[in-house]
Amino acid sequence: MPRFWRRNRHWMTPALLLLPGLVLFGLVILAASFETVWISLHDWDGIGAKTWVGLANYVELAEDPQFYVSLKNNIIWLLIFMLAPPIGLGFALIVNQKIRGMRILKSLFFVPLVLATVTVGVVFGWVYDPNYGLLQLIYGLFGGTTPALLSDENFATFAVAAAGLWPQIAFCMVLFLAGLNNLDEDLIGAGRVDGARGWRMLRHVVLPQLSQVGFIAIAVTVIGALRSFDMVAVMTTGGPYGSSTVLAYQMYEESIFSYRFGYGAAIATVLFVIMIAFIAWYLRGLLRAERSNA
Amino acid sequence: MAIDVTTLSTTRRRFLKGTGAALAASAAGGLCLPALAQAQEITIISNLSNVGQRDILHRLAAEYEAKSGAKVTINNMDHEAHKTAIRSYLVVGAPDICFWFSGNRMKAFVNKGLFDDISDLFARENYKGVLGATTSAVTVGDKQYGLPMGGLLWGLFYRKDVFAEHNWTPPKTWTDFLAFGEAAKSAGMVPMSMGTKELWPAGGWFDHMNLRVNGLDKHIALMDGKVQYTDPMLTPVFDKWNDLIKAGFFSPNHSSFGWEQAGAALAQKKAAMMDLGGFVRSAFPEADIPQLAYAPFPEVAPGVARYEDFSVNSVHVPANAKNKQGARDFLAYFYKPENLGAFLAAEGAIPPRNDCPPSKDPLVNAAVEELKKVVGTSQYYDRDTDPDMAQEGMTGLQEFMVKPERRDQILERLEKTRKRIFG
Repeated sequence: MPRFWRRNRHWMTPALLLLPGLVLFGLVILAASFETVWISLHDWDGIGAKTWVGLANYVELAEDPQFYVSLKNNIIWLLIFMLAPPIGLGFALIVNQKIRGMRILKSLFFVPLVLATVTVGVVFGWVYDPNYGLLQLIYGLFGGTTPALLSDENFATFAVAAAGLWPQIAFCMVLFLAGLNNLDEDLIGAGRVDGARGWRMLRHVVLPQLSQVGFIAIAVTVIGALRSFDMVAVMTTGGPYGSSTVLAYQMYEESIFSYRFGYGAAIATVLFVIMIAFIAWYLRGLLRAERSNA
Repeated sequence: MAIDVTTLSTTRRRFLKGTGAALAASAAGGLCLPALAQAQEITIISNLSNVGQRDILHRLAAEYEAKSGAKVTINNMDHEAHKTAIRSYLVVGAPDICFWFSGNRMKAFVNKGLFDDISDLFARENYKGVLGATTSAVTVGDKQYGLPMGGLLWGLFYRKDVFAEHNWTPPKTWTDFLAFGEAAKSAGMVPMSMGTKELWPAGGWFDHMNLRVNGLDKHIALMDGKVQYTDPMLTPVFDKWNDLIKAGFFSPNHSSFGWEQAGAALAQKKAAMMDLGGFVRSAFPEADIPQLAYAPFPEVAPGVARYEDFSVNSVHVPANAKNKQGARDFLAYFYKPENLGAFLAAEGAIPPRNDCPPSKDPLVNAAVEELKKVVGTSQYYDRDTDPDMAQEGMTGLQEFMVKPERRDQILERLEKTRKRIFG
């Protein structure tokens, strides 16, 4: 046994160490994904027998106005979330300055990352409250009244996504701060010798070195925007009348409240396909970056 | 050096063993049942959010343990989370007793064979004699599948001191109602406090309007999917409702908050009345509760008999329970008039048994008196119709309250849903 172990451990050790993770991943992610696709081809209430309906759920989805509302809202989320990487980069550059007291400021910027998203949602829900919220207090100072953001079909999604943006900015800032700490001092020194400073230093010396971090920040932000669910659930429950739902929330609502697991699974599958496209793009970028480094 | 290697490999091996064990445990955990019930063990899953009621349930369980020697385990779940969890635990890992809602929501599980027929318990304890008409709430095809718990009578609640101050009386007819709304508005109050974030209050308002316009039978036909949502019988309901919306009867921005905040507005005298069940009390400070009073929803179309929403919670024995006999014995003890009375008094609900001790709560007593004048009852929009229909329907009704001009589109959408579900 020990001889067998000694001879084979160079591959068995990593294999065994990977095994628990792989088994869990296979069970919880892969098997569940395949099962979701399978369920989406059935009419199923979550308890009784499944009835095969082929692509009927997808046909219905294509005619469902609510689906397009969700899809549109997902795109709004995506666009708003795209503000997170540049704003995060801006904050990272500011708090990265060596100024007294900057550490306190830096930790203040971290705060939204410490909070659970649900907490952020609840707090922003209060801020937006038209009767006693912080926003109303500010408007009140100027003698105005706030629009009831969360109960207006035109504003609800923007208001919720703006709340979601807050921790996302902090997250991007942390990524860029880490990137800034890894800057090549030699390159900066060389740039300085060549007379680069200020904007030109940033544009031609610092930013190119942050491109990989920036890529990760964008990819994580895209995925964060697509899987937005908790904020919607806490702040509007998709309302008013379904105008602020996103795909993930619609899936939840159909499966849990309407007992339509097949239809919910079809929405999940569509979301999955959209995500796969982004993840493929992400992996391609990651591989290309690794190859160019090697 | 050799020693180093052996210690290293043992720790590594131990580590692997440990991970393996953890993995096995986590995999098995999902399959494991919440408790391995023995013959003398009774497990209960409750969804009680009221602390007083939980305490009484625990007390009764302890008393029963002492009396019978059986072990009673109570697992309490969050009320909303329980609504989704019940569907999985009834299939895998059912307790011996669970809390749920009577009527259509119970029927959904009965039709899938997930609730046990407890007609034998009804016969043994002669429950039909003390329950009377309430038996129908837990009956499917002449068999009983649960025990009815406290009932909630829905209606308009108001503050006595506010009404006395303005010299108002609860409106009885539609004309009264419109005049009352104007009076409340000129007093700077919202006539009807309402928060529709959780959707159901809009469904309740629809119930009351429809019951007052079309009566119980037509309302139930609609709930059962036998009447189209585009049927002309609903025209006066939405016309009249539209008048109220246009007249500014309801809380502004009502879709951004829930009933708790709407109830608080009633307590703070910012609103004159509110359509809810007796649990509106929980939005009131203890000292203000005596000011709370009940009035029935006003008459809308003259000559329609009085029908009300009266929703009844219930307890059930899952079909997959392991100790069905023990569950029956415990329920018989729990359902004794004095025990049930104490349990329901904590919630302020109306006891289903007619031999429970009279309540000390004036609101409960008033509701009991009112109930005697009611000709027939439905439960509530989301308890009477299919859950899928209820979700779409309540969303549509909320949209109508915000954008009444979209009425035709909304009703067509609901009709499409009705057709899909009921055929």
